[in-house]
Amino acid sequence: MDAITFSIIRHRLFRVIDEAVITLKHVSGSAITNEGHDLMVSLYRADGSLLMGGVGFLHHLTSAAEACKAVIRRFEGDIGEGDVFLTNCPYTAALHTSDIYLVAPIHHDGRLVAWSACFVHVYDIGAMVPGGFSPDSRDIFTEGFSSPGIKLVEGGTMRRDVMDTLLNMVRAPEMVALDLSSMIAANNVARERMGALIDKYGAEPVDEACAALVDQSETLFRKRLRELPDGRWEARQYFDIEDETCRVLLAMTKEGDELTFDFTGSSPQSHYGINCTYWASWGGFFAPLFPLLCYDITWNDGVLRPIKMIAPEGSVVNCTRPAPVSLATVGAIQSVNNAACTCIAKMLSASEKYAKEATAVWHGSHFAIFMFGLNQRRQEAIGILTETFGGAGGARTWADGIDVGGEIPNPIGRMANVETTEATFPVRYLFRRARPDTGGPGRWRGGNSIEFALVQHDSPEGGINYVVSGKGTEFSMSEGLGGGYAGAPCAYRWVHNNEAGEAGRNVNPFPTELDEMTGEAETISWGVFPLKGEDALYVRSDGGGGFGDPLEREPARVQADIESGMVSEGVAASVYGVVMANGAVDEDATRARREALRATRLATPMAAE
Amino acid sequence: MSGTRISATLVVNDDRTIACMACGHALGPAGEPWKKSARLDEGPMQGAGGAPYSNAERVLLRRFFCPGCGALLDTESALAGDPFLTDIVRV
Repeated sequence: MDAITFSIIRHRLFRVIDEAVITLKHVSGSAITNEGHDLMVSLYRADGSLLMGGVGFLHHLTSAAEACKAVIRRFEGDIGEGDVFLTNCPYTAALHTSDIYLVAPIHHDGRLVAWSACFVHVYDIGAMVPGGFSPDSRDIFTEGFSSPGIKLVEGGTMRRDVMDTLLNMVRAPEMVALDLSSMIAANNVARERMGALIDKYGAEPVDEACAALVDQSETLFRKRLRELPDGRWEARQYFDIEDETCRVLLAMTKEGDELTFDFTGSSPQSHYGINCTYWASWGGFFAPLFPLLCYDITWNDGVLRPIKMIAPEGSVVNCTRPAPVSLATVGAIQSVNNAACTCIAKMLSASEKYAKEATAVWHGSHFAIFMFGLNQRRQEAIGILTETFGGAGGARTWADGIDVGGEIPNPIGRMANVETTEATFPVRYLFRRARPDTGGPGRWRGGNSIEFALVQHDSPEGGINYVVSGKGTEFSMSEGLGGGYAGAPCAYRWVHNNEAGEAGRNVNPFPTELDEMTGEAETISWGVFPLKGEDALYVRSDGGGGFGDPLEREPARVQADIESGMVSEGVAASVYGVVMANGAVDEDATRARREALRATRLATPMAAE
Repeated sequence: MSGTRISATLVVNDDRTIACMACGHALGPAGEPWKKSARLDEGPMQGAGGAPYSNAERVLLRRFFCPGCGALLDTESALAGDPFLTDIVRV
């Protein structure tokens, strides 16, 4: 095939996904999809292998391939033109039950030539807790509807019995129906556009181009791996859930043009739903791998070929049925993301050519708060507070992390406007802003995180409920790099203004800081809580990791951070060794301060002692 | 600083020793763990930054310094008793 035709077909495949994503967003009605971009559309070859990874949450690219393969196995001989299949079983392919995959075969002249697949986090899945994140579940059976594979659309016609059965098991069925419709529409557009592509270039040339595209990715990725040094890099993630402390341990080994991700030593599977299954861990490390190592390579099965994974069965990164997994996406999967980001970044740091591509961890906790209850229009409202997609950037080797700068696993994630959330839920924001001193200190500072506070507002029931799945409150999950510090941990506070009011205190209705709130601020991290009356919810997410020695940060940058309110003068002096006087850097005092801090370092014991 | 880069802060010199990128202080043979040859400050993470770190009571921030110049070579989070993270680069 000539290079120009190959390139045109490659770009047409990208555009097929783009149009499908636009369609999905136009049809969907939920904030998590349209605002948070908690979605994914990708294309797969006839055997279910990844052909063209799309945007959205990247750990779904490979898991949806397993969904396609599972459907091929289960429905062999019964896969027809215009069919759409659904699977959301975490022990088959999905990350958790809330993330439904709809996969659709693409036929041409009666022959199966490819698959399209997409996912959204559906409005509800019938788990113990509305929205799907189910802290009280202790097994998969209480995490809602779960199917290893079912035909939802047959020959272009909706199977009403199947659809009605599913909708009969979920809350807000009209919204779940809209979620499913958005994915059917996205698959329809992908099918039509692929048909047009094949009509123009022919089935065999397109298939030839697809095969070449996968081979090209493998060739380019192996070449990149050969350019990087061989070695073995370790990372460790902790997360605290109630009475448990879990570890995810990763040793990444690179030899020649192959990479092995070994999670040996990770904690046994948890009693709580923060576990993840084998394919979720597999997808989990590809989320940082695709953008950090393959930013100029098509994301497809060719990238997967040089990779091996070791994940001990029965561990938090490869749990066995019926272990609960409803919070996997913010639990073990996120830690797999973070650990892989750290190991890959260390490998990049060891290369003169690629050191500039290294990054500290971004938004390591991926905190999630779901709200549920009746809204101000007496409609059932369920959904995530999209601030989690605001994230916090990790520092790079050449630049600060971006304040509230997103996250690596979802390059298009974003958060809704305050007004959008207030229009969806019966709540009022007291404040929302970037939080100073949360970014991990370093020569390049980690991005600061977000803090915000809510009260109920105009609720017909006097309030609403929320779900906190708060690992990362004790441990910093955004590790630093090259001497940079980890970002600050998360914090969640239930501010008991109702009790303060009952005790006769005047509740401050317009606080602009946590410290200005009247009631006692109780630390919370896990479970379902009420937001009633005058009580408030305060949330602070974790900052991005820093890069390099904080004492090497240019004093002028520290001054700029102070002036913009992103770093306090106290941290400037104690961590960065920068002393301010009359609004400017006191250069003599700063030099002396930094010399004193270095002297302190040289007085510490040898690590071997 | 000459030598072959093996991290953001370390190189391997022609004599096959790992050295601080800033000052050249030797930290042991290439291909071996180097952290035990560094100076170590290990304290609660809650002292690492400002008020937002106050939750981090149990977790430790380990800071590995060059014994020659005091440069901060690496950091890691750890619970007490957990081993050092080991990175080996073959050059």
